Amino acid sequence: MKNILIVPAVAIALLSAIGCARFHNAPSDSKDARYVVISPIYNEIIWALGAQDKVVGIDLSTTYPPEVKNVQTVGYHRALSAEGILSLHPTAIIHDNNIGPPQVVQQLQQLNIPMKTFTAKNDSFDGTKALIREMGAYFHKEARAEELCNTLDAQRTASLEKVKQYSDHPRVAVIHFGRASNVYLVVGKGGGGDSGGVSQMIELAGGQMAVENRGMQRMESPEIIAQANPDVILLTDFGYDRLGGSVDQIKALPGVATSNAAKNNRIYRIEENVLNYFGPRSGENIAKVAAIIHQK
Amino acid sequence: MLTASNITFRVGQKALITDVSVSFAPSKLHLIIGPNGAGKSTLIKVLARLLRPQNGKIEYDGVDVQHASEAALAKQRAVLSQAVEVAFPLSVREVVMMGRYPHFGGRPGPADERIVDEVMAHFDVTEFSRRNYQTLSGGERQRVNFARVLAQLWRDGLTTNTSSCRYLFLDEPLTFLDIRHQIDFMKKVRAFAGDRDVVTVGVVHDLNLAARFADQIVLLNHGRLVATGAATDVLTVDLIQATFGVKPTFVAGNGSGVHLFFD
Amino acid sequence: MTSQRGSQRVLLLALVAVTLLVLAASIRYGAIDFSIAEISRALTSVLPGRPEPTLDQRIFLELRFPRAVLCLLVGASLSVGGSLMQALFRNPIVEPGLVGTSSGAAFGSALFFVLGGVLHVGTSIWSLPFAACIGGVISTYLVFLLARSREDGRASIVMLLLTGLAVNALFMSAIGFLSYIARDPQARSITFWSLGTLSGASWKAVEIVATSTILGSIIALRYAKQLNALMIGEEEATYLGVNVNRLKWIILSVNVVIVAVATAFTGVISFVGLVVPHILRMLGGADNRFLIVGSALTGATLLTLADLMARLVVRPAELPIGIVTSAVGVPVFILLLRRRHYVF
Repeated sequence: MKNILIVPAVAIALLSAIGCARFHNAPSDSKDARYVVISPIYNEIIWALGAQDKVVGIDLSTTYPPEVKNVQTVGYHRALSAEGILSLHPTAIIHDNNIGPPQVVQQLQQLNIPMKTFTAKNDSFDGTKALIREMGAYFHKEARAEELCNTLDAQRTASLEKVKQYSDHPRVAVIHFGRASNVYLVVGKGGGGDSGGVSQMIELAGGQMAVENRGMQRMESPEIIAQANPDVILLTDFGYDRLGGSVDQIKALPGVATSNAAKNNRIYRIEENVLNYFGPRSGENIAKVAAIIHQK
Repeated sequence: MLTASNITFRVGQKALITDVSVSFAPSKLHLIIGPNGAGKSTLIKVLARLLRPQNGKIEYDGVDVQHASEAALAKQRAVLSQAVEVAFPLSVREVVMMGRYPHFGGRPGPADERIVDEVMAHFDVTEFSRRNYQTLSGGERQRVNFARVLAQLWRDGLTTNTSSCRYLFLDEPLTFLDIRHQIDFMKKVRAFAGDRDVVTVGVVHDLNLAARFADQIVLLNHGRLVATGAATDVLTVDLIQATFGVKPTFVAGNGSGVHLFFD
Repeated sequence: MTSQRGSQRVLLLALVAVTLLVLAASIRYGAIDFSIAEISRALTSVLPGRPEPTLDQRIFLELRFPRAVLCLLVGASLSVGGSLMQALFRNPIVEPGLVGTSSGAAFGSALFFVLGGVLHVGTSIWSLPFAACIGGVISTYLVFLLARSREDGRASIVMLLLTGLAVNALFMSAIGFLSYIARDPQARSITFWSLGTLSGASWKAVEIVATSTILGSIIALRYAKQLNALMIGEEEATYLGVNVNRLKWIILSVNVVIVAVATAFTGVISFVGLVVPHILRMLGGADNRFLIVGSALTGATLLTLADLMARLVVRPAELPIGIVTSAVGVPVFILLLRRRHYVF
């Protein structure tokens, strides 16, 4: 009797095993970890730490380093789809609190998907180093993290030395093009969030922020630039290229034409990820920014 | 019997019809004539209760229609307009079937289908049954619409029997028809109007057609009733000249009454 | 039964079959492909006594399945709205959004995106749909109010069209202003929402949209015959016993509810309401009893197909569904414009 039943029992067990493999939840120990990382800075640091083999999905805005091309993208960080992310079977989703739409975030929470945000923020050099160390600890790459921090410090010191050779401290106004709101913005001194990195970088590079207000504001009135009367005006890459680099068109922006910067033709293009950015490359970036703003 | 008493209809300050009182008996064809702007179309619309007069009342068989529901009226009163424009491709049969809408709830019954068949045959439009109404000529369309309107008023031994009158209104229905179709049309109207419990009231421009086909002529000018009665009483030299500003000459026809000529 | 009605019946049955096929495809394929065995296991896992469903099974039950059903419902409601509007306005180039409903709903959501963070309202997932619904109702009511004639309170169809255009323009520029004052991430949320997405689908959403769609369609069908009469003109319809003013209010209300509720959950999805009734008319004629049901089925199918494409083309990422419907809808719309001569 028993022998007859064994065959179908084994068959059923085998079939179930094969069938279930698809639905088997991946174990959560870090050897088999799979991460979907939705943040350009997190991804940059992960690649710098050498921990990228565990990254199975990245967001559309992550573009550095060039090797990220080899990883699948889950879409734009504010227009995600839960199913798309989960099709990569991640063990955790790592993000910097800038994801949407809200329904999708709720769905991920409902499904108890582990989500991780690092506490340190890259809003300054110290913050960046803290983030690198925190991420180094999370990915068990502590040694590499220390290396990165040391390199960052060394590069910063070297850059600051270079900055010392410039005697002037130009007043700099930074104009950025907000692509979602389709309008030019002036970046102000201080304030976090959107414009945090900019004023720090300018000051480290030996300049002064010409516009005092916090954060970014629309260039509605010519007074913003006119009152600030900057010696140098920087336009971030997209906004600059959008006007075809035409100095005349740039001077046509509100308040620009009467400024010292316009009169002396000290209007320059700068890559956004050099200026409005804090990360592993910031050390070198100080020198780059300085080279641009101190041009004559 | 259709009775209009002291009808005044205004739009803003302007009175389109002033104090018109007239009766329309069943089994007769009544035609309203008058120059442009006389208020003919307005009067027909008031009689059909599309418009409500500020003064006076309309009675169908002695009952004031002021408060009648649209649905109830639709079962006994139909209007044939000048031209009916259809925005979407509809088959001729679908258009004619609309005449039966007041008579069925969800889907047409076998009686409705039969009536539509008969009425289309009567107007010679059966061959168009599946054609797109939008592709028909003016004359063909009027035949289809006349079929629809008669389908709406249809009554025979097999449909629900009520003893009340039916009312057919024709609002300048000949406008887009050629002469052959105009005459053919009037003959069919005449035949239908002779039915014992139908009141038929129409608006025409052609005085000769009015003279030939009407049992009663109602002459309007400037929104007022000028005269009403048989053709011989209303179509006089003086009245025509005073109302239309042209002078007619009467010529006897070969056996079918009188014809008017104008210089 | 006439042969025309016979062929309409056959067409409707075929549409039901196609809709079911497309539903099956939508359930099976996507960022994750589920086999039939996996699907049946996922479905049976909810029975009592079964072990807890695995993650993939939950993805199927809580994300994929409701999304597929929501696609059907939203596609149906937008198309039914389209056929109602076209019948009411006696004009084939009319969209349910024409009386301001879509732009109002979009504005409500944009307002939520911008203010929600500031006022700390809307931590519930119902806040966004609710805001969108309110927006849609307000904008549509505004159109009704403005389009009424001072003399007799009636709103002619031409006035409704013109006022709808004006109110749409008003709300679209209001949305533009919100994008202007919003911070970059909020502005991007507004942009993406106005391209439409089904990614927020849930069974609760299905419940709500199903109620409005089914109720709205049943009411619409009850007035189908009157809408037919309206096709030969407002006057003629009155002579056939239709209370035209009352019909307008009822049909417009039904349209607002079903379109605003759908838009509230998915964002603005264009062209479905415009194109689907056209296709149906070409296939089976303009009788509203046929058109409403046929539009619901065809719209359900087409939107589900569009969503399938949106989920497959760049998987695991997704295209906003408005891009897919516009990519198909715009050329079809232009083709239709060129083929016909419109008479008002």
